[in-house]
Amino acid sequence: MSDKIANWTASDDAMVENAIRRGASRRELLQMMFMGGVAATTGATILGRATAAVAAEPVKGGFIKAAGFSASTADTLDPAKASNATDYVRCSAFYNRLTFINGAGETTMELAESIESSDAKVWIVKLRKGVTFHDGKSLTSADVVFSLNRHLDPAVGSKVNALAKQIAQVKAVDDQTAEITLQAPNADLPTILALHHFMIVADGTTDFSKGNGTGPFVLKEFQPGVRSIAARNENYWKERKANLEGFEFFAIGDETARMNALLSGDIQLAANLNPRSLRVLENNPAANLFISKLGSYTNLNVRLDMAPGDKQGVAEGFKYLINRDVIKKSVLRGLAEIANDHPIPDWNKYHNAELKQREFDPERAKSLFAKAGILGQEIRITAAEAANSSLDYAVVVQQAASKIGLKVAINRVPSDGYWSNHWIKDAVHFGNINARPTPDILFSLLYKSDAAWNETGYKSEKFDSMLLEARGLLDEAKRKQIYGEMQAMISNGAGTVIPVFMSNVDAISPKLKGLTPNPLGGMMGYTFAEHAWLEA
Amino acid sequence: MNSLILRLAAKRLVIAFLTLLFVAFTIFFATEMLPGDVAEVLLGQAATPEAVAGLRTAMNLDQPAFLRFIYWLGELFTGDFGVSYVNKLPIADLIGGRLANSLKLAGVTAVISVPIALALGITAAIKRGTLYDRIVSIFTISVISVPEFMVATIAVIVFAVYLGWLPALSMANEVTSIGGLLKAFAMPVITLSFVVSAQMIRMSRAAVLETLNTPYVEMALLKGASRRRMVLRHALPNALGPIVNAVALSLSYLLGGVIIVETIFNYPGIAKLMLDAVSTRDLPLIQSCAMIFCLAYLLLITIADLVAIISNPRLQ
Amino acid sequence: MTMTLSLPKPQKTRLPRFGYRFPLVGVISFLIIVAWILVAIFAPFIAPHPVGDIVDFDFFGPMTAEFPLGTDYLGRDMLSRILLGARYTVGISLAAVCLACLCGITLGMTAAVIGGWFDTVLSRTLDALTSIPSKILALVIVAAVGSSIPILIVTLAIIYTPGCYRIARALAVNINTMDYVTVARARGEGLGYLIRSEILPGIIGPVLADFGLRFVFIVLLLSSMSFLGLGVQPPFADWGALVKENIGGLSFAAPAVIFPSIAIASLTISVNLLIDNLPQKIRDRSES
Repeated sequence: MSDKIANWTASDDAMVENAIRRGASRRELLQMMFMGGVAATTGATILGRATAAVAAEPVKGGFIKAAGFSASTADTLDPAKASNATDYVRCSAFYNRLTFINGAGETTMELAESIESSDAKVWIVKLRKGVTFHDGKSLTSADVVFSLNRHLDPAVGSKVNALAKQIAQVKAVDDQTAEITLQAPNADLPTILALHHFMIVADGTTDFSKGNGTGPFVLKEFQPGVRSIAARNENYWKERKANLEGFEFFAIGDETARMNALLSGDIQLAANLNPRSLRVLENNPAANLFISKLGSYTNLNVRLDMAPGDKQGVAEGFKYLINRDVIKKSVLRGLAEIANDHPIPDWNKYHNAELKQREFDPERAKSLFAKAGILGQEIRITAAEAANSSLDYAVVVQQAASKIGLKVAINRVPSDGYWSNHWIKDAVHFGNINARPTPDILFSLLYKSDAAWNETGYKSEKFDSMLLEARGLLDEAKRKQIYGEMQAMISNGAGTVIPVFMSNVDAISPKLKGLTPNPLGGMMGYTFAEHAWLEA
Repeated sequence: MNSLILRLAAKRLVIAFLTLLFVAFTIFFATEMLPGDVAEVLLGQAATPEAVAGLRTAMNLDQPAFLRFIYWLGELFTGDFGVSYVNKLPIADLIGGRLANSLKLAGVTAVISVPIALALGITAAIKRGTLYDRIVSIFTISVISVPEFMVATIAVIVFAVYLGWLPALSMANEVTSIGGLLKAFAMPVITLSFVVSAQMIRMSRAAVLETLNTPYVEMALLKGASRRRMVLRHALPNALGPIVNAVALSLSYLLGGVIIVETIFNYPGIAKLMLDAVSTRDLPLIQSCAMIFCLAYLLLITIADLVAIISNPRLQ
Repeated sequence: MTMTLSLPKPQKTRLPRFGYRFPLVGVISFLIIVAWILVAIFAPFIAPHPVGDIVDFDFFGPMTAEFPLGTDYLGRDMLSRILLGARYTVGISLAAVCLACLCGITLGMTAAVIGGWFDTVLSRTLDALTSIPSKILALVIVAAVGSSIPILIVTLAIIYTPGCYRIARALAVNINTMDYVTVARARGEGLGYLIRSEILPGIIGPVLADFGLRFVFIVLLLSSMSFLGLGVQPPFADWGALVKENIGGLSFAAPAVIFPSIAIASLTISVNLLIDNLPQKIRDRSES
């Protein structure tokens, strides 16, 4: 085994650019690159390029084409139903939400002027004045009431129905003020409202094909599964209107084709590239990489209530058997951060840094499996393309298992129908979880005893009560301590093996400027259109 | 002879109708066997039992699937394709533009590939055993041995990325000029021609050779008739049946089977639409697409069968 | 009526007949096929590395002494993966194409000889079968009966039988009208005899050409089926799947994408050239 890693310069570019945006000095940057093994002369070149990319002033005008990775007849402009990057990009262009999460992970106000509460249970939302929908109607509290209540109606098919259930009542206090009453206190409400699905639509909307929102672009054309065209909203309420005159968004399902379309100049943004494509993209003058650390992950789930996971130590064994380094280096080409079997990445302010990182330890796994009496048995792991890279993860686990005498059979199933037929249901299977901005959302969705997505059947009354306690706390230090403890409980007790957090790789034309990473997702939290500008 | 053809065509029409009906039922049952329904698929990871139940009610999917299917079939007879479960758009609207795109692509490919393929196949048969024949054979097989997605990707890398002569994507919606049309269609058409030509070349060569082996032709050849003349006058008409069948089978691929080309060149055609429909379990859309594919296929093979019968007087 | 003409340059004759001689191209093709079959059988013993083992942290690695055909997208040894892949590509494709052609040709000839309602019903049923998209078919099969290699073979055969039937029937219908068939029928020969001794020899050439083509199609379709979860399970992969999973390396001509393509081409071209160059005896009606 040689230990050369072939992708350092590629991620460097993006890393350095981001460091400059954070305000790092030239000296710090060069030192950073030196640590990464970059020679001083090369470092200076990279630095020059990256600084130029950040420093230039935005230019107005220009039209771009951007391609996501999936589109189908199910494409929608209804934010409640939005289900993938393609929908999020479109909705972010046409609508706004009450709050937003900025690049640094802080919650900022968007359509709301303020969201305040004294007890974390009753929240007063004051709306910004002078905001109009594309059809000319002014934004009022009725729109907020309508937009939020929709998620509670099962007939809407909202993707965040589970989260929205904690809303007991939304009512209009006056034209510009709404009052949200929760079932129980939740200090995170302003952050929750920044999720894509909680975008504000006009009161009474039933036909969402017009994209009538308050957002930076207006809809020109929308064909589900084919494409959409947007034009700049000249009446946008923000002082800085969009730079681009407009953009076209569609999807190219084939990853190589998406990258080639960017390299040939047909499109200016190619979303969600495979880290493997770095080999082609690095040092290619026709493309810049745009890397976002998000906290999304693909995880191996060992159900604690089915054989073989019901035996003591089996799930823990898999946590020692999974080779996180190999997954990071070989499967994800370095574009990942090692995780510790819980869903909170280290850039989250609630991350528990004291929890010891679990290492690859096949001997320990072997003794755990031997104690559980499953060595020599065949374990079937269900994987599908639907869960990103899960087939490659499965091969990594399989190889490690074969060396300690555990037989692992990979059961590849169709992506089609994976989430309803295999995810959560199979004894040992893969899941794929998108990043969520708060620990509370992740824990309530995934680990609460009665959570709809409790992937491994983890049940702990202590965990549930800690979750409720932390949710209502406005005391940050106390919260951090409780969340830290909960991360340890998940890492040690649940059956979810979370090896790494995957970074998102988009590639953009060198002429496309103004993008900064955002924790809400790739392509600048899907809002690139509002901020990007095209170099003349 | 004309009345015979007419009678045959009429009979085929009736049978085609029955076939379509049969296909509709088969596809209905097949789709019902697929795990998950449209509500579950739309909700994806958010598909909790109560959410699924609520959405089903809202989408009017409470009725038994079979009743909905029969109702859809009834509407079909009035020319109404129904409404997509997924986005509530009329299926005629969803299919319309994309079918036209697919037909355009299929038409251009057919017009280019059929004459070239037949010419190559027949001349290879005339010059059997020569270097020319060998080259045609090896070329044909090599061309289809390379997976379609690889041909398309190589074409993109060479002509779009490195040379920059052609666009990497084939935006049928934006074509305004003849030059634009040529540019947009060049790579998809070449890729598809590679795929569909092989069968036509190989079958026309083999079928012509086989007729050359009949005692009658052999006798004529031994008597000194020219090989070219024998092929064109005697072998070809006799071999026409299998050849047109091979052409029909190859062309039937051009509507539903071009999914790879549609994906790589981002060409908005009907094959991708059908795949979407299958993955979202959008029954009316699956059915409508399947009906179109089936109809196109039946049309092609009926023409093939008629040509076969006309070309062989003994079959009449 | 074989004429064993011993001509010095057979390719320039107007009516080349090689008699019992086996042309050189045919011999080479045959040897390549045999070589791949041997590889398929003995693959586990000759593969230098375990097929799923990540042996190199580099990816799309170049050809080196340690990894003669480079490494794949995960850093696995390509030579081992191709050798093991031969089992699936050669084995499954041959089995499926034989099954499809056996069913298709037998049914096609039977339909042509019997004709009438039997012909109509069979033809239309198979037409209808063709109209079911293969993706739905594959998904239904996975959902209903699960996934295994025999199921994969049968599925592939089902998908390709109607096409085979159509070609065989079209050929057989023409032969069926020939005088010698009418004579045989008048003699009171049975269906089996007519098919075997009168029809089959007359259509064998094009049918074999069709067999060769279908083999190529099946080799290529195989990988799509794996991606739907039907058949070959990781870490193993057939050659088509190897091309597909390494397609990202095409931009810089990685060995990982070139060599499986060459493997596919060598096999499919050999099969077709062998068919083209079979000894005349096998193809000649009057010798059978």
